[in-house]
Amino acid sequence: MSAFLSYLIHGISLGCGFALVASGIIIIYRVTRVVNLAQGMFAVVAGFSAASLLDIGLPHVLAESVAIGAAAAVGVLTGYVAVGKRGTNPQASLIVTLGVGIFCYAFEVLIWGDQPRSFAGLAGSYEFFGVDVPKQYLLVTPITVLVFVALELFFERTYAGKAMTACASNPYAAALQGIGVLRMSLYGFGLGGALGGVAGVLLTPLHPISYDSDVSLFVNGFAAAILAGLKRPVLALAGGLLLGVAESMVAGYSKASYQSALALLLTLAILLVQAMRRETLHAVEES
Amino acid sequence: MSFDSRSATIVALAAAGVLAAALLEESALAVYVLLALTATVTVGVSLLMGHAGQVSLGHGAFYACGAYAAGVLSTHGCPTWLGLLSAPFAAAAVATIVGVPLLILRGHHLAFATLALHLIFLSLISELSITGGDVGLQGIPRLSLAGITLTSVRSYAYLSCTALLLVVVVAQNILSSRPGRALRALSSSEVAAASSGVAVGYYKLAMFALSASFAGLAGGVYAFYMGYLSPGSFPVMLSIEYIVMAAVGGLGKVSGAVLGSALVFLLVHGLSRVATASGMPSTAPIILSYAVYALLLVSAVLFLPSGLVGLAARAAARVRARARARHSNGGQAETPLAAGPDQPAAPEQVASKHGSFS
Repeated sequence: MSAFLSYLIHGISLGCGFALVASGIIIIYRVTRVVNLAQGMFAVVAGFSAASLLDIGLPHVLAESVAIGAAAAVGVLTGYVAVGKRGTNPQASLIVTLGVGIFCYAFEVLIWGDQPRSFAGLAGSYEFFGVDVPKQYLLVTPITVLVFVALELFFERTYAGKAMTACASNPYAAALQGIGVLRMSLYGFGLGGALGGVAGVLLTPLHPISYDSDVSLFVNGFAAAILAGLKRPVLALAGGLLLGVAESMVAGYSKASYQSALALLLTLAILLVQAMRRETLHAVEES
Repeated sequence: MSFDSRSATIVALAAAGVLAAALLEESALAVYVLLALTATVTVGVSLLMGHAGQVSLGHGAFYACGAYAAGVLSTHGCPTWLGLLSAPFAAAAVATIVGVPLLILRGHHLAFATLALHLIFLSLISELSITGGDVGLQGIPRLSLAGITLTSVRSYAYLSCTALLLVVVVAQNILSSRPGRALRALSSSEVAAASSGVAVGYYKLAMFALSASFAGLAGGVYAFYMGYLSPGSFPVMLSIEYIVMAAVGGLGKVSGAVLGSALVFLLVHGLSRVATASGMPSTAPIILSYAVYALLLVSAVLFLPSGLVGLAARAAARVRARARARHSNGGQAETPLAAGPDQPAAPEQVASKHGSFS
């Protein structure tokens, strides 16, 4: 029982991280129709930056905030390269985001080296039903929920949020209304970068990250986004939690190395079911 | 491309390959073997992306599949030639089996699915005991063909050159035949191709399997050349390198794939030589290679969508048009990009059809 509980808590925190990465992927996809392969990189940049800033003596919270800001800035730059050039189609942009992600490998290794890094989050732990739960795990979930509430409010209540939704549903009509589609795309990338950054600073104290951790972050985030149908960020929270708990259970009761393979197979199955249902529709869209 | 210029390309490539294999020093031959194997895989990736319109981020898995098929068979008592022969077939079989469901997917979904395939394959080979797990597969015997055991690096240089030539000939012939025209049709519009009687699903699957078999063949040669395989030899980055090379050379063009992989491979290799010189930090080689791959990929996709070969074709067409205009003393009948006998369509049109990522 106590083992189950600790796997569950671990899975929920992990799932929150996946959900944050996934929401970034969804927001960028909605506005630009580009699946951002560099999404995991934002989390890595934020995690590394936070570790360095804490090393030079910045207090917590401030260091993390600056790191998230840095990830948002990297997000805007990524967006500028990927969609800034007129007439770049989404598939070309997809490959460009892949290139940007690899370029950041070079950058990250240059600044932070190729060894995994981490930093201390909240120290200490609470005890629930005989299970020691580190405080950092308990920090992850409320912050994630807060972020998702803020996102919902942003898209429902603010001009920028509504403008981004307008671009998502019909870029041409949005442009006719005087909304700068490129600017909204860049906002989308910035927001995606910040969300990736939040995931990075929350998860780095739990697992040390290295420069190539972005592959697994992206794969799990995209899986959660697919579970959410690439539509609404809030649904990604459910997708991320489901995935996180399932992986944590597999890792706990079976073998840790199976967890990512399981997530991948699950995602592939869902993708295929969705594709088969929508095949005719896609064919019409494409022509 | 007419028949003559096609066979001229192949003869030139064969001459250059054999000469290089015969004349290069031992130390340079190691680079040569890996370059030829990389080019072999890239030809398949380029065809798949340029003609069947599919982005594959998982061709490294087919390379690994061929390598492990050859390695496992020959460490279990099979004759080595049979191991090499089975490599392309094993990769093609895997591609066919996974391709039936996966090729329903398009665009970024397919890109993700192939990436997932690579990751699943890696975790599979590091778990199975027959592939040696994380430790790797050791003691793969040297290749014996018709009683001759290939032991020197030079013999593997000839072997990899042969593999590349074989793949180039097969690819050229397919492109200039009926299946090639069908593939070109479906890469610009699947609906239009299907309504003209092209069996879209069949051709896409066949192309996927064919390009996987190219990768598998290269993997088989790699297994005998190295004598040792481990999951670490086939990182995800490997699959991405093929895409960079195909994009730099020009998607869908066989000569582009060979040229692109040669240029990119030599550039990265040269830079890593510089980076390992004394006084440089130990991480310098990986920093440089990541930066070069990334910059080449981004600039090729954004600024050179038809690749170096497309650029060369455009320049050649411009020179020809100018010469023709001068010849006819400023005659107005000739448009600058007139379609000549060996230039079936204006290069821009070709580029927009199957040189870009649409």
